Amino acid sequence: MSTDARIRNYSREQYSLIAVLLLLFCGIIVFAWKLPFDARLFPMVIGATGILLVGLITYQELRRLRGHTDAVSADDPAANSTWPRFTAALLSAPVFGLVFWLFGFFVASLAAMLVMPPLMGYSDRRRLLTVGIATVAFLAVFFPYLVGVNLPHGIVGDWLIDTLRPD
Amino acid sequence: MLDNLLLGLSAALQLKQFTFMIAGTVIGLWVGVLPGLGGPVAMAILIPFTFSMDPLSSLLMLASISVGAAFGGSVTSILLNIPGEASSAATAYDGYPMAQQGKAMVAMGLSAGASMVAGTFGVLVLMFAAGPVAKAALAFGPAEYFALAILGLTVVAVASLGSTLKGLAMGALGIAISLIGVDSILGSERYTFGSVYLLDGISFVPVMIGLFAITELTSMIIEGGTVAKAGKLEGSVWEGFWGTFKYPFVLTQSTLVGAFIGVIPGLGATAANFLAYGIAMRTSEHPERYGKGAPEGVIAPEASNNSCIPTSLIPALTLGIPGGATAAILLVAVTLQGLRPGPMLFTSNPELVWGFFMGLLIGAIMATILYIVMIPWFALITLVKIELMAPMLLIITLFGAYANERSMLDVFVAILFGLFGYFARRHGYPLISLVIGLILGKLAEGSFQQALQISDHEYSVFVLRPLSAAIFAICVVLVLWPGAKKRIGVGGAEVT
Repeated sequence: MSTDARIRNYSREQYSLIAVLLLLFCGIIVFAWKLPFDARLFPMVIGATGILLVGLITYQELRRLRGHTDAVSADDPAANSTWPRFTAALLSAPVFGLVFWLFGFFVASLAAMLVMPPLMGYSDRRRLLTVGIATVAFLAVFFPYLVGVNLPHGIVGDWLIDTLRPD
Repeated sequence: MLDNLLLGLSAALQLKQFTFMIAGTVIGLWVGVLPGLGGPVAMAILIPFTFSMDPLSSLLMLASISVGAAFGGSVTSILLNIPGEASSAATAYDGYPMAQQGKAMVAMGLSAGASMVAGTFGVLVLMFAAGPVAKAALAFGPAEYFALAILGLTVVAVASLGSTLKGLAMGALGIAISLIGVDSILGSERYTFGSVYLLDGISFVPVMIGLFAITELTSMIIEGGTVAKAGKLEGSVWEGFWGTFKYPFVLTQSTLVGAFIGVIPGLGATAANFLAYGIAMRTSEHPERYGKGAPEGVIAPEASNNSCIPTSLIPALTLGIPGGATAAILLVAVTLQGLRPGPMLFTSNPELVWGFFMGLLIGAIMATILYIVMIPWFALITLVKIELMAPMLLIITLFGAYANERSMLDVFVAILFGLFGYFARRHGYPLISLVIGLILGKLAEGSFQQALQISDHEYSVFVLRPLSAAIFAICVVLVLWPGAKKRIGVGGAEVT
């Protein structure tokens, strides 16, 4: 990726983040509006302070952009990584969360252990299978018996258990 | 006094108590390593098992879990940049760069040395100053608590030199998030949008897991390789352990900061951890070394959180006011044993109280020994390929988020904060400020409202009370200090 493109992407992300923060602080004020005075006083102060700070940050960033100060380093790992790796990094947690919610611990954990490493470029399949199954088996014993937390079956798993249970 | 010490020593050195302390320490070390399952969670899980124990055994086991968890929490902070305990989060700032340089064992040795010294000091303060210190803490009114909360935020925001504005903005966001739920003073629902989940506010554990664990995992996956960049380990545990004593000023200063913060109800070891780090950097002659693997950056947070844990028991045992989650659970345990916390506990049960104090003292040394024995094994994690380690950590951390309250929504909160944290950190927004804002938000608002109600809505109450005015003056000096320092040409470090 060229330096210009890298700076453009970085700036776009920076301004998106500023917009998100501004939206959040505005939301704090808007949704506090109808509360009783004492309950809205502190949120109003915090929201207004936040908006002021975001304004100052925007000014600071604009000045930096105009001054062409290096915003992103040439060895920025995000800009230099391959797209499968970058996608794996950003999507692994949300996808794991979704599968965990739908299908429970076993399916989500096995999927994470067996799918994530190849996406990151890991190629030793035999070791991957061994480590993956051993890890999931160990955690399946560790969490319920040693930490005292039962493994969730997920909504699909719970539905299947309810459906297949003999009356 | 000597009689009490001997009485306590004879009670604590019984084989039964010793066994419970070892068991508690090992459990603490173990759960401390797991993000989301910190000392208070393990203590809460084990409380039902203490019903049948005698009071001293149950208190010692629960307190040992807390001490062990403080040690264990620093392991993943140093090795993986993922704090096992919220109170070890600041340890990662210099501990992790040391691990990346292959000095994981040295960093953990530093952590062991600082923790042992500070933990011992904290217990001594608890023993000898419980009464007078608790009285001094009573001088803090709501206005002072509000000022202290603002001081906490300011120190952390200013510690991120070059991005003070971003630090303050993240602090404001943290406070804003802490406002979600039922307002504790007036009982109004705020920002709940009809959701039952949001009535109690957003839990601290999934936010921490998201901001620290998921954020770091995302960065790790993008970078690849191994944590120790050179693929080998340098230095030894003992080099780090003895190295602690080469920095007596930072060690003393941070131990005192932690001991002081512990006494003030509501602040706790997490605030102490960040404050001590910020103060150590501010007062350092070489602040530019911080965040890049400075030994002082490991000593300061580790000393402060370990001296804070015992002193947080002072208001709990003498006044019945818990200084944090650990103290609150111990108070529950004391009450469940049919005892009543307060000054009478010291006179009616001297064997229990002094046995507990001596047990804590022995426990601090025992936890250090167990930790040192385990360090070389822990350090090997830094040599495992990230491609294999990342999915394991993802499973453990997100399960930790779920296990906290058995809530799937906590998992999604952790993920949301993780992704936000990744982009925020990439653009120089210090995540610690958000965490500190979240921790201190409720305290800040509660004290703000109480101070106003007591003073009949006189806003000048915050500057007319001398102690509160002095704390606010320190805040102003801290905010202006970076600019002044720049003018006189001294650099600084950036911490995100």
